[in-house]
Amino acid sequence: MVKAVGLFFICVAWAFGSESVYERHCVPCHKDMPVKIDKFFYRYLLKYSSETEVKRAMTHYLKNPTKETSILTDGLINRFGVKKKTMLSDVALSEALDTYWETYKVFNKLK
Amino acid sequence: MLVLKNWDTNLRSREKKTLWSFLFLYAFLVLISLFFVAFLYYDLQRELFLQHQKEALSNLTNEQINRLRTLHVNFDKERLYPRDERFNSAIYDSGLHEIFSTLRSQNVNLYDDIYIKEHKIYFIKELESYYLGARYIALEVPEPAHWDKKIYRTLFLYGGIIFALTVLIGYFLLKLLLRPMRDAISLLDRFIKDTTHELNTPVNTILSNIEMIDPKQLDPSLLKKINRITIASKTISNLYDDLTYLILSHRLSSHDETVDLKLLLEERLEYFSLLCESKKIRVGACLEANVVMSIDRKKITKLLDNILSNAVKYNNIGGTIDVELHDKLIRISDSGRGMDASKTKHAFERYVRFDRSVGGFGIGLSIVAAIAKEYGLSVDIESKRDEGTKVSISW
Ligand code: HEC
Repeated sequence: MVKAVGLFFICVAWAFGSESVYERHCVPCHKDMPVKIDKFFYRYLLKYSSETEVKRAMTHYLKNPTKETSILTDGLINRFGVKKKTMLSDVALSEALDTYWETYKVFNKLK
Repeated sequence: MLVLKNWDTNLRSREKKTLWSFLFLYAFLVLISLFFVAFLYYDLQRELFLQHQKEALSNLTNEQINRLRTLHVNFDKERLYPRDERFNSAIYDSGLHEIFSTLRSQNVNLYDDIYIKEHKIYFIKELESYYLGARYIALEVPEPAHWDKKIYRTLFLYGGIIFALTVLIGYFLLKLLLRPMRDAISLLDRFIKDTTHELNTPVNTILSNIEMIDPKQLDPSLLKKINRITIASKTISNLYDDLTYLILSHRLSSHDETVDLKLLLEERLEYFSLLCESKKIRVGACLEANVVMSIDRKKITKLLDNILSNAVKYNNIGGTIDVELHDKLIRISDSGRGMDASKTKHAFERYVRFDRSVGGFGIGLSIVAAIAKEYGLSVDIESKRDEGTKVSISW
C-alpha cells in the first residue's frame, strides 16, 4: 500500500517536473493555515537546536503524530487537530525535510 | 713556610667551591619548589578572579540572550546579529557548529565555563531555550589590564623572603655539617705537609754528600752502590718536588724567563743519565740549537722531568729513549711497554680534569697537564702496547 502510494507520488513528481517534494507536498496544505510553516520550523529549532536533532524530531513526529509529542501549544493543537501520518516514503520525507531545513535555517543568514 | 700557607688557602678555596656548588644546587631545588607553589598560588588567584568576573559576564550574557530571543521571534523580518561594544559573542548549536560569531578567536573551548586566552576572557553559557538554534553562547571580553600585578607583587615579595631565608639556613646547616669533615681533612693535610717537609732535608743531605765523594777514589763495586744510592735519592727528590708542586698548585707565582731548550734538555738528560745507565737504556738526542721559550724555568724542568722519568720508568732494560727538539716541538719517544690506545684517551681525559683527580695515570702526568695548560702548550700522547710511547709537546 505504502509502496503504491510512493510510486504514485513519484509519478506525480514526474508530471510536475522540477518542483521538490516539499513544495509539492507540504506547502500546499500548510499555505492555508493561519500559523505559517516557518513558525513550526523555528519552534523546532528552539527546542532541538542542531540540524540532525531537528530533522530527527520532525521525522519522528510526521511519521507518528500525537498530541503529546506535538510542539504546538495545547490551544493550537486543539484548534488544528493532530495531523495525519505522512504518506511519504522515508526517502521522500527526508528530501522534503532537507528542503524545509535549507529554506528556513539560520546558518549563513545572519549579518 | 710559604708552602704550608698556600696549601692552606688551597684547601679553603676547594672547600668554598664545594660549599658554593652545594648552595647552588640547594638554591636551585628551593627555587623549583617555590615556583611550583607560586604556580599553584597564581592559579588559585586567577580562579578567584574569574569567579568574580563570572557574575558580571553572566549578566552581559543574559542581555545578549534577550536580544537573541527578540531576533528569533522576528527572524522573518530581521537578520542582523545583535552586537555590543562591551563584548564580542558567538552562538553554537547542540552539534557545536558555529551559527554566528563576532569573536577574534576561532577556537573556543565550549566545555569550559570561563577561561583566559591571549589576554581575553571567554565565558560560555548554555541556553535554556535554543533561540535561533543556539545551544551555547560564548562571550569574549578583553582581560582587564594588570589584574595580576598585585598577585605578582605578593609572589615576588614572599617568594624572595622565603628564598633568602632557606638559602641562609642551608648555608649555616652546611657549615655545621662540614665542620667534622673539615677537621679530619685538615688533620690529614697537616700530616702530609709535615711529612713532605721533613723529607726535604734528609734527601738533600744525602744528595749533596754523594756529590762530595770523588768517584775516582772509589773501587768499582762501591761506585756501583753509590750510584744506586744516588738514583734512589733522586727518585725521592723528584717525588718531593712533585708533592710540593701539587701543594702549591698553580698558585705558585711564575718567574718567566727566556729558556734555551737545547741547554735545558741536555742538562735534564745528564741528570737522568745515571738512571738510564742503570737500566742500560740508550739515549739518542737530536736537538736543534737556538730554540727558546719564555717560561718559568722550574716549571718547564718539572714538565720535562716527569715525561723523562716516565720514559725511563716504563722502559725495558736495554731499551731506547729518543729526544728531539725542533722549532715549536719537543718529542720524547721510548721503547717501553706502552699502553692501549683506549688508555691514552683516558689519560687525556684525566689530563683535562686535572684539578680534581690526582692519581690514575700518576701525579706526574697531572703535573705535566697543569703546566701545559698554564702555558698553552699542547701535549699529545701516542702509545702502542709493547712498542712504546711518544709524547709530543708543541706550542
Ligand atoms: C494534509 C495537510 C498537511 C500536509 C500535506 C503536511 N502537513 Fe504539516 N501539518 C498539518 C497540520 C494540520 C498541522 C497541525 C497539527 C499538528 O501539529 O499535528 C501540521 C503540523 C506540522 C508541523 C508541526 C508539528 C508539531 O510538532 O506539531 C510541522 C513541522 C509540519 N507540519 C511539517 C510538515 C512537512 C515538512 C510536510 C511535508 C512533508 C507537511 N507538514 C505536510 C497539515 C499538513
